[in-house]
Amino acid sequence: MSTALAVRDLRASIGSVEILKGLDIEVGFGELHVIMGPNGSGKSTLCHVLMGKPEYDAAGSAVVSGTEMLGTSVDVRARHGIAQAFQYPTEIPGITLRELFEELAEQRADGAALLARVDDIAARLGTARFLDRPVNEGLSGGEKKRSEIFQLAVLAPAIAVLDEIDSGLDVDAVREVAEAVERMRGPDIGVLLITHYNRILQYLTPDRVHVMVAGRIVRSGGPELADELEETGYAELVAEFGIKQEDAATGDDFLAGL
Amino acid sequence: MSARPEPEARWLAELREQGLEAFAALPMPTSKEEVWRYVDLDFDLADLSMPEKAGTPLGEGRFTVAGIGGARIVDGFVDDIVQPDGVTITPTSEADPAALEAAAASVIPPDLDKFSAAHHGFGTDGLLVHAGKGVAVDGPIVIDVQAVTPNALSLPRILLVAEAQSDLSVIVVYRSPDEGTFYVVPQLQATVGDAARLRLTTVQAWGYGTVSVGQQRTVLGRDASVHHGEAGIGAGLGRLHFFVDIDGAGAHSEISGLYFGEDDQLLDYRAFINHRAPNTTSNMFLKGAVEDASHSVFTGLIRIEEEAQRVNAFQTNRNLVLSDEAGAESVPNLEILANDVKCGHGSTVGPLDAEQRYYLMSRGLDRIHADRLQVRGFFEEAIGKLPHQEMAAAIRRAVNEKYVRAQEEGRL
Repeated sequence: MSTALAVRDLRASIGSVEILKGLDIEVGFGELHVIMGPNGSGKSTLCHVLMGKPEYDAAGSAVVSGTEMLGTSVDVRARHGIAQAFQYPTEIPGITLRELFEELAEQRADGAALLARVDDIAARLGTARFLDRPVNEGLSGGEKKRSEIFQLAVLAPAIAVLDEIDSGLDVDAVREVAEAVERMRGPDIGVLLITHYNRILQYLTPDRVHVMVAGRIVRSGGPELADELEETGYAELVAEFGIKQEDAATGDDFLAGL
Repeated sequence: MSARPEPEARWLAELREQGLEAFAALPMPTSKEEVWRYVDLDFDLADLSMPEKAGTPLGEGRFTVAGIGGARIVDGFVDDIVQPDGVTITPTSEADPAALEAAAASVIPPDLDKFSAAHHGFGTDGLLVHAGKGVAVDGPIVIDVQAVTPNALSLPRILLVAEAQSDLSVIVVYRSPDEGTFYVVPQLQATVGDAARLRLTTVQAWGYGTVSVGQQRTVLGRDASVHHGEAGIGAGLGRLHFFVDIDGAGAHSEISGLYFGEDDQLLDYRAFINHRAPNTTSNMFLKGAVEDASHSVFTGLIRIEEEAQRVNAFQTNRNLVLSDEAGAESVPNLEILANDVKCGHGSTVGPLDAEQRYYLMSRGLDRIHADRLQVRGFFEEAIGKLPHQEMAAAIRRAVNEKYVRAQEEGRL
């Protein structure tokens, strides 16, 4: 059995700015991995580079279910089994979520099965009301995150990449989103959850926790690593791994603008 | 061209005379005039002839829709009137003088330009749709305007009158064969009386060889409202120069529409919204797309007179430019003489949104289908606002087909 996601020496830059500087991570099927890190460490970039967003130049390797994904287009990756829950989901005016699923179903060999599970999953996640309104339009922050998780549950990818799925949410919403992530877990899927804070980990038990600083994974460990970070913060790691604060700030603004 | 003498109302006769005078006095417009800036006219109206009688009418088309009544205007000649209950539809030559008189309030000036002059000076006949005081009908009047005689000029005229407290619903479809050259100067004028309501959808579906230079004017009485929906699909040159005069306090004008240019179409919209009374509101929402070497123009002037206090007026025009050779002009303008008003305008011109494309592709749609969905969604907002939703499906199909066809033929 191949792994859900195997990343080797992944480097990525935008223009002349190198953001990912040689990153390795391996997520097995059935596993939940968490990447934590300070702002500007390149977490969102990692998500977009895995998804194949065009403005990044990427090198190295990112293998999903045994197939190299670098160099392929966004839709090829999606159909092969990468799905991303976006930190800032884009609004698609005039197209309802149901219409998006219907369009997807026409493009996929397993389209009928996909459509058949939409309403079941919506009922399970309590997201049926999102189906008949334009994608992400008029949704609150928490609703957008739930809609993202809902879409991923319908898409049933090999690897789900959740980009700050807990940011901007109140405590109840974090718990709800965590529960939705928990339901998504299973033997046929790997989950990579990117977060700035460990509060979502009160409701989820990851298999591995990785700390990302300045475009690299600098530490990896079990769930206890998240607790340790909660106590020590990122400052020590940032100092140790040599990221300059002004770089971090620039990176943060830069990423927020993407 | 020759005027067609016929018995007519005194004010119509005067307009005809003024039209002939203006036609003799006015030159053909040139692109040096701001209001004609993007139009390159390569013909002279004076060289065109008008058919002696209507040509053979077209059969049903993609926008054919059933109404409670209606009429056909072929090459400027009115025929095939289906008289509904409640509303009176007649050729102007046979109209009740009192009913016709109410239409005089919304006349489009003959000296507006040479086209309006020609329309008034040489117009063959008009169609009057008249809803008497308090009349409300439960379905649309459908007017099928056709140009079928090639190389000729036709001057179709529609006069709508909604008397006080009436409720009038009208769909106008303009069409001509795809092959051949046709010249049309349509005028549509609407007088909407106190507390009356007009819902009007105009579908511009001329063939691509048609040059249409149209004018339209709506005049609103006290507490009156108009909701005008426009779909710009056809014509080589499809121009609509239109005025909404909000003359009665408490009146409201709503304009919703969309247009989609392909090939070398030029779709030229010139909107003038005049608030001349207090507590009036207007809202305009137009979305357009251009591909191939087509161009679109939207200029919208909202003018608020000094006496028009407590006015809300907004206009939004959003454009997608889908090909390098295509272009869209969008120039909203405000001219505010009153001091207690809320006005705003929004205007965008740009390509398809890269973030939307990325999002849709990240769900598994290839680029072609992602873009197709984005274009569909772009227009959906405008289609949803059209006053006659029974036209939505045909209009949706027409605009989406243009994009899909261009994709399939590799023109994008």
